[in-house]
Amino acid sequence: MSDHTATIESQFWRQISRTFVNWSLFRQIMSFVLFLVLWSAIVVAVDYFQQIPTPKAVFMALFETPFKVVLVNMLKSFIRVLAGFFLGILIGFPIGVAIGYSKVAKGLIFPAFEMVRPIPPIAWIPATVLFFVHIESQIIFLTFYGAFFPVVYNTMGGISEVDIRLPRAAMSFGLNKRQMLWKVILPAAMPQIFTGMKLAMGITWILVVAAEMMANKGGMGYYVWYNHTVMDYPHVVLGMGIIGLCGAICSIGIAWVGNYFTRWQRIF
Amino acid sequence: MSNANEEALDFVWQPPTIKSKIFSQTTILGTTSVLLVFIAWGLLVHFEVYRFVLFPSPAEVLEEGIAWVSTHVFWMDAGATTLRVLGGVLAAYIIAIPLGLMIGWKKIFSDLTFPTLELLRPIPAPAYLPLAILLLPWQEASVAFIPFIDAFFPVLLNTIVGVKMIDRDYFRAARCLGSSPKQIFWHVVLPGALPSISSGCAIGMGIGWMGAVVGEMITGKWGLGYRIWEAYILIQYPLIVNGMIAIGILGFGSSVLIRYLTVRLIPWRRSITDSLEESITK
Repeated sequence: MSDHTATIESQFWRQISRTFVNWSLFRQIMSFVLFLVLWSAIVVAVDYFQQIPTPKAVFMALFETPFKVVLVNMLKSFIRVLAGFFLGILIGFPIGVAIGYSKVAKGLIFPAFEMVRPIPPIAWIPATVLFFVHIESQIIFLTFYGAFFPVVYNTMGGISEVDIRLPRAAMSFGLNKRQMLWKVILPAAMPQIFTGMKLAMGITWILVVAAEMMANKGGMGYYVWYNHTVMDYPHVVLGMGIIGLCGAICSIGIAWVGNYFTRWQRIF
Repeated sequence: MSNANEEALDFVWQPPTIKSKIFSQTTILGTTSVLLVFIAWGLLVHFEVYRFVLFPSPAEVLEEGIAWVSTHVFWMDAGATTLRVLGGVLAAYIIAIPLGLMIGWKKIFSDLTFPTLELLRPIPAPAYLPLAILLLPWQEASVAFIPFIDAFFPVLLNTIVGVKMIDRDYFRAARCLGSSPKQIFWHVVLPGALPSISSGCAIGMGIGWMGAVVGEMITGKWGLGYRIWEAYILIQYPLIVNGMIAIGILGFGSSVLIRYLTVRLIPWRRSITDSLEESITK
């Protein structure tokens, strides 16, 4: 009998704790704590990892960061990423629409793209030097190239996967071709188009960092590489964090715009 | 009238013959498209438009390419790059797949690990390079670390999505029939997630090639990425173009290989994952 009351009591307390404490959130916060603890423990305890900065060292490095330099570098990276990204959309989006919309355009353009696509954007670096004089334009070409294919392929895929009943219904309501494109097909393809943009943004950040590491012309990638060469590892980790933050801001921005354009379904 | 009807009745669907395949619209347009690229390239070089003066013509590239492939340097480079990609990407598979299965399956595990991984995910792989150089004892490993990071997150996310997309009823049914958590893992979670995992693996392989080339360009002694970089410094443009082509072919080949293997190994692969995969890769 006493056992029984004990169970009821424990259930009561469990219920209380469930209503007043969000355990999932608590665990999620614990995840960060656990990560930091593990990180410091490994650095302190294992001899081999001693060169890696502890979280504390990284935090202290925050106070001696030359903020002006970091800001200028951040701005440079941002300009390169956004320029390449928007160029990619500006050129890639109409091509994607054309390929998705017309079978002849697809037959003409698609195989050529399929031939070029497997070449990783990074491998274009030496070739870009031939066509673009300024390092700035080389990097922007690279980010453009990285953004181009995800945008084209997702726009094409989004359009060709539109439920056939939608255009049929629109046709029976007597829409003309232009209205069909703007009012039916593009909105229906929007979710996938934004998936492509998100991917493109991720790839542009990878490319910018890689190109800046090689180019010695400023930017966050250069900041990280420079601190590596002067063996200032807390600042390397800090730079990585800042790059991650910039990338996250960009993808959140796209998700935000994407939410506006796909108001009827929340997928981002 | 009756004649036409008879003709209509006589019509039997026949599988496409080789001849009809060759002369179909897609093949003709496709060939034209590929040819147009080469013709445009040749013409641009021939008439020395803008800075195409310095660019090698297709014939030159082909000639140099054949000479390059027959040397042992090419095979050493290709082998080195392939090994790095395979090492990094396979390591990513080995770590990311079990991790993703656990994250997708168990809420507690997901709460404890996923926020941290989300924090690390936006950091692009090349940014890890200084740490990799510091962390790993020899250079091979630090080059292979970039494909590892590049492949890790797509594989992880696809695995998680794969587990989350399994119908809840399968878990309920398994539990009703009295299976242990271990049995649920091996008979529900893993087979259910495999189609999505396989597309994640193909994506990871594709991105892994990009990562390996970055790593080799920045810190390398061997490999196709390094060879392109060296050709750039020595101003050997045909070699640059050939290197790009070689990387493209090898990367494409490995993705196709992974896809072929996974389709063979997972006969229950649903078509829905194909569209999912397209939305992620392209």
